[in-house]
Amino acid sequence: MGTRILAVEDDERIRSAVKLALEDEGWTVDEAGSGEEAIESFARTTPDVVLIDIMLPGIDGFELCRTLRRTSDVPIVMVTARNDTHDVVAGLEAGADDYLTKPFAPKELSARIRALLRRIRPIATGHAKLVFGNLEIVPDEGKVLRDGQELHLTKTEFRLLCELAQNPGRVFSRESLLDKVWGYDYFGDGRLVDVHVRRLRTKVEADPANPRHVVTVRGLGYRLQS
Amino acid sequence: MTELLSEAPRVPRLQRWIATATSARSARLGLRTRVLLMFSFGALLLAVFLAAAAYSFTRSSLLTQRDRTATLEVANHAVTVAANLNGAPGDATTALIALENQNVSETVVWYRGRFENRGGFSSEDIPPALRERVINDGVRARMITTVDGAPAIVVGYPVSNGALFEAVDISEVEDTLASVGLSLFFGALITSMFGVVLGWFAASRAVRPLADAAQAAQLIAGGRLDTRLEPSDDPDLRTLAMSFNDMASALQARVERDARFASDVSHELRSPLMTLAASVEVMQARRTEMPERAQTALDLLASDVARFQGLVEDLLEISRFDAGAIRLNREDLLVAEFVRAAVSVSSMPATPVTVSDRGERMVMIGDRRRLARVVANLIDNARLHGGGDAHVYVGEADNEGEPVGHVWIAVEDHGPGVPPEERDLVFERFARGAVAGRRSTSDGAGLGLSLVDEHIRMHGGRVWVEERRDAEPGARFVLELPAEEVGI
Repeated sequence: MGTRILAVEDDERIRSAVKLALEDEGWTVDEAGSGEEAIESFARTTPDVVLIDIMLPGIDGFELCRTLRRTSDVPIVMVTARNDTHDVVAGLEAGADDYLTKPFAPKELSARIRALLRRIRPIATGHAKLVFGNLEIVPDEGKVLRDGQELHLTKTEFRLLCELAQNPGRVFSRESLLDKVWGYDYFGDGRLVDVHVRRLRTKVEADPANPRHVVTVRGLGYRLQS
Repeated sequence: MTELLSEAPRVPRLQRWIATATSARSARLGLRTRVLLMFSFGALLLAVFLAAAAYSFTRSSLLTQRDRTATLEVANHAVTVAANLNGAPGDATTALIALENQNVSETVVWYRGRFENRGGFSSEDIPPALRERVINDGVRARMITTVDGAPAIVVGYPVSNGALFEAVDISEVEDTLASVGLSLFFGALITSMFGVVLGWFAASRAVRPLADAAQAAQLIAGGRLDTRLEPSDDPDLRTLAMSFNDMASALQARVERDARFASDVSHELRSPLMTLAASVEVMQARRTEMPERAQTALDLLASDVARFQGLVEDLLEISRFDAGAIRLNREDLLVAEFVRAAVSVSSMPATPVTVSDRGERMVMIGDRRRLARVVANLIDNARLHGGGDAHVYVGEADNEGEPVGHVWIAVEDHGPGVPPEERDLVFERFARGAVAGRRSTSDGAGLGLSLVDEHIRMHGGRVWVEERRDAEPGARFVLELPAEEVGI
């Protein structure tokens, strides 16, 4: 079965053009002009990637993102109007995996989507099970357990955790995480890492304000420990 | 009509004259100085006037008193002298002895054309004017003069066939007056100083609202458009504060509207641009299926859509700068690593980068994506106007005598260079004229160099263009940014 993409965008022309461009990549594209339509379409078609424009009539992009996240770990790409306002961070906090700033080249979008699709596939860690104190990671099954309780991580959060778990105790810089998890070069946005680490902490840490496992190393990056 | 026309120009000229006169005066002395001087001068004047008045009053009352007693005494002595002179034959000796018996010394008696004296007082000490008045005119007179180096009132009293002159010492009065004068002088001095201090306070108080307004104006000029003056209770100042605040509000509204307009326009352009870019890409994927002429048209379309997109992004960025909405995402950057990465994603990724030894160890703080745009813009500029052959150099700034606190990132090209008179102009938005023809617009880069300037300034650095270091034709754009050398 081919890859299905749900494009949520209120401007019909942009939607059509993006659909044409993405279909050239060999993907199936479903369209939605509003948040309500998107929720309905999402339930019906179960897409592999969702593309959401933040500026939507009715339910806005953030709200739609949160709604989808309640039931799904589907990769979400946010489209923001500008990259230096709080929109980016708010979108990532709402559960988006990545973002693009308008106007973007469709090539850029397909590159992002491909990077997200890569994340869906499990990574070979060479370990059946990784244990960090009360935290247990089963890479092949894409499962994380805390005190034996299964946690619901998005694909990106899981990938981030696995990258950190590959070399426990080693400090990973933002750049290296951007490269390994998101597939960005030197000029990726460090906020992607920061917000995802924050989101990851709310799930794996008993007390997210005082993290025990995912630790910040000031000025250097992040590290996973028992 | 003619009258009106001839009348009209005179008014502005007069106004201009008034304006010039006023401004010339205020240029000479500040308000604070003027108030201070006014107070000081006023206090000084008042003090001097009061002191002078007090002194002259004291002096005249002391002297009058002394004078009256002296006149009275001398009148008594004159009676004695008159009695003795009448009975005596040739000289005044008897009269002087009679006076001596009354314990009166310092007298001169003129009798039958001859002076006779007792004590240190002699006829030489009598001012000629007084002598004349008493002896010739035969009237009573007195005069203040110096006898034996001491101030004295000399009283002349005509008696029958002669005259009596007597010196009354008033050095005591003069001493009193001197000490009164001294204390009045100090009093005046203290009053003047008090006036100066008061003037200083008054001046500061008078100027304080102006200083507040000046500070507020400075803040506004610096981009803090929400700055307002505190409303004051003083009715005079309230007008100033209110007008100032009205002006600031109007300015803020205006600036915000302008910034919003630029930003709104760019925003509106983004949606059609998105559609254009995506559609062009779909067409490009089918380029080979198209006839040759359509392919050429598509290439033109694609390159201009890209140029348009760049322009809109630059416009948006500029409008964000104007709105003060740019927030830098600062982090430590290894300069050499950053420049190599920035060049590798630019329009000429193969551009050679040469880094000095110290340049390799330099770290700067900056927004890596914004600074990458800066480097990319400079490389675009070299590609479009510099003969498409650039070289990037990274090294410590060689400002002589200064410790290394800056890094230089220089982009050299092999174009025609920038003539000295245009070197500032190239950094202006949509630079026009000769500069525009060569340095910008042709690839939508009319904003590129001005964005470089804005970004670099925001990072606390500067940018300029100069000649190539090797004296070959070409331009050298230099970014100077604060950086530190670290041990690696």
